[in-house]
Amino acid sequence: MTQLLPPHDSLQAGSLDGLTVQVRLPLDRFELDIDVQTEKHVTGIFGVSGAGKTSLLETICGVRRQARGVIALGAETWLDSDRGVFVKPSQRHIGYVPQDGLLFPHKNVRHNLLAGKKRGLRRGHAVQQTFETVVHILELGPLLERAVHALSGGERQRVALGRALCSGPRLLLLDEPFASLDVALRRKLLPFLRRVRAEFQTPMLFVSHDPLEVQALCDDLIVLGDGRIISHGDPRAVLTASHIFPLAEQYGFENILPCYTVEGGGSTGQVRLGEREGGERAPVELVTVQSEARPGEAMLAGIPAHDIMLATQRPEGLSARNVLPARITQLRSVGHVGLATAELSPDLPPLTVEVTEKSFVELGLRVGSEVFLVIKATSCRLYRTGEGRRLRRSDVDG
Amino acid sequence: MSPEVLSVILLTLQVATVSTLLVLLPATVLGYVLARYEFYGKTVLSALVGLPLVLPPTAVGFLLLRLFAVDGPFGRETLGFDLSILLTWKGAVIATATMSLPLVARTARATFEGINPRLELMAHTLGHGRLATFFQYSLPMARRGLLGAVILGFTRAMGEFGATVTIAGNIPGRTQTIAAAIFSAQQVGAQARADFLMLVAIVLGFLAILSAELLGHGRSLPRLARP
Repeated sequence: MTQLLPPHDSLQAGSLDGLTVQVRLPLDRFELDIDVQTEKHVTGIFGVSGAGKTSLLETICGVRRQARGVIALGAETWLDSDRGVFVKPSQRHIGYVPQDGLLFPHKNVRHNLLAGKKRGLRRGHAVQQTFETVVHILELGPLLERAVHALSGGERQRVALGRALCSGPRLLLLDEPFASLDVALRRKLLPFLRRVRAEFQTPMLFVSHDPLEVQALCDDLIVLGDGRIISHGDPRAVLTASHIFPLAEQYGFENILPCYTVEGGGSTGQVRLGEREGGERAPVELVTVQSEARPGEAMLAGIPAHDIMLATQRPEGLSARNVLPARITQLRSVGHVGLATAELSPDLPPLTVEVTEKSFVELGLRVGSEVFLVIKATSCRLYRTGEGRRLRRSDVDG
Repeated sequence: MSPEVLSVILLTLQVATVSTLLVLLPATVLGYVLARYEFYGKTVLSALVGLPLVLPPTAVGFLLLRLFAVDGPFGRETLGFDLSILLTWKGAVIATATMSLPLVARTARATFEGINPRLELMAHTLGHGRLATFFQYSLPMARRGLLGAVILGFTRAMGEFGATVTIAGNIPGRTQTIAAAIFSAQQVGAQARADFLMLVAIVLGFLAILSAELLGHGRSLPRLARP
């Protein structure tokens, strides 16, 4: 990962604090009943609206007083209802970023960012240094003296994120921070979250129902359904598990692969899959839609599972720009569709391919089959990661 | 302007100012508590707070008269010393404060109710306790509405008549405010004096309402979400 800035203090802080959440909280339609532990940097929380995601975050914040159970971060216990422990929200050192920003209308951007300064200083946090880092990576410099009512939706959410970071939190809770924005703008804000992730070692819980955001940011993924955890594990594995995939597909699942551009301009783009200097044995290249990226820029490629065709022989006379040899590593069915996991190269994350069960049978697919993945250039979307350079103003005008 | 008329105007401003200052803190706290907390008896408290708005002012004045009478609970015989409330400017302050408190408290309550309570929760998560959140977040966010409430309370105090004359009387140079002076002037047929005092009342009232209106157009009013 390209280093944007000199290492931040907290980067040298060593291993992450584990988060333990074992809580029960009665809600309107069901009971929130969570038992989870995570030591990962970014843990995603995925699920339909109304599954209890926000209630879970509010419980961790301490604003749901009825919650019973245990909440602990590292050696600090915030809730242990059997022992009568309840730490007030103001004492929990949490940075909370809600969907609607909740910026303070009586303060300008600078003073919003510094709203948690006292708490940060009490904890011995280098607030000024964090402030400068935050202003830099979230590109808030030109906004500092603005009134919050003069900000656009994307700017508000960046300020809300920056305010949480400046308070020197031990845990960041992001509650669908970009859900109120349209998809195009959300994609432009993804790089900011990637930078925060690269710059701050603070553990994060990231609520989202965007499969792209989840895969691009999370090390660990929890799926909530009616107040319970219905799946937990590696984000890619969880999203493509047979009982979760229909939900992921409903929210626009795409296979996400790291890549970097080898050729910009022209009517199509070309990327090489994998990390730069990744030492791939046989580089896999992908023809994509046109992108504005510079050659060599680290990107994410997104390919919807239903936009990939399988062929047992190399097809001829096709308009599709990409025909990639791959090996089937897993086959499973979800309702009436079949899901195949195909490996392009041992160095790359595998791709999930959606076909009908009938095709499975007719093509005689089995684990280990050598196949060709046929993908149109227009099905390969490219997302910028914001690493290695500042975004241009035009990239972030939201 | 005769010295008597000037003293009437000055006394009116003095009474209204002291009464507003007296009412400000309790009315703001009352408004905040009624806006933010749920507790047993809240509806009854809310009704009691509004009572002076619907009672005849003379009834309120008479109640105060009984409370501060020599043999009343706040009178000389009970306390052992004299608060000297009756027939003094202090009595006028107590009467006007009682009459304007409901107005200030209700306006303050509506203002606090118009502020998203999640903003206060956000201040908590940023490390601010309840008191710090109230003084550094709730109050500043409510400042325009509260200023409007204060202006309303001040005008109510300036115009109060019934309760004031009942407890403080209508003594020229000692307890006679503009409202009472107009009444007296009209009773004795002092046309010019009544006209002048009426104009003063109109100008003061208009300025107060005007500034309240201007403040009301401020940004702390609830708005539709921005894009």
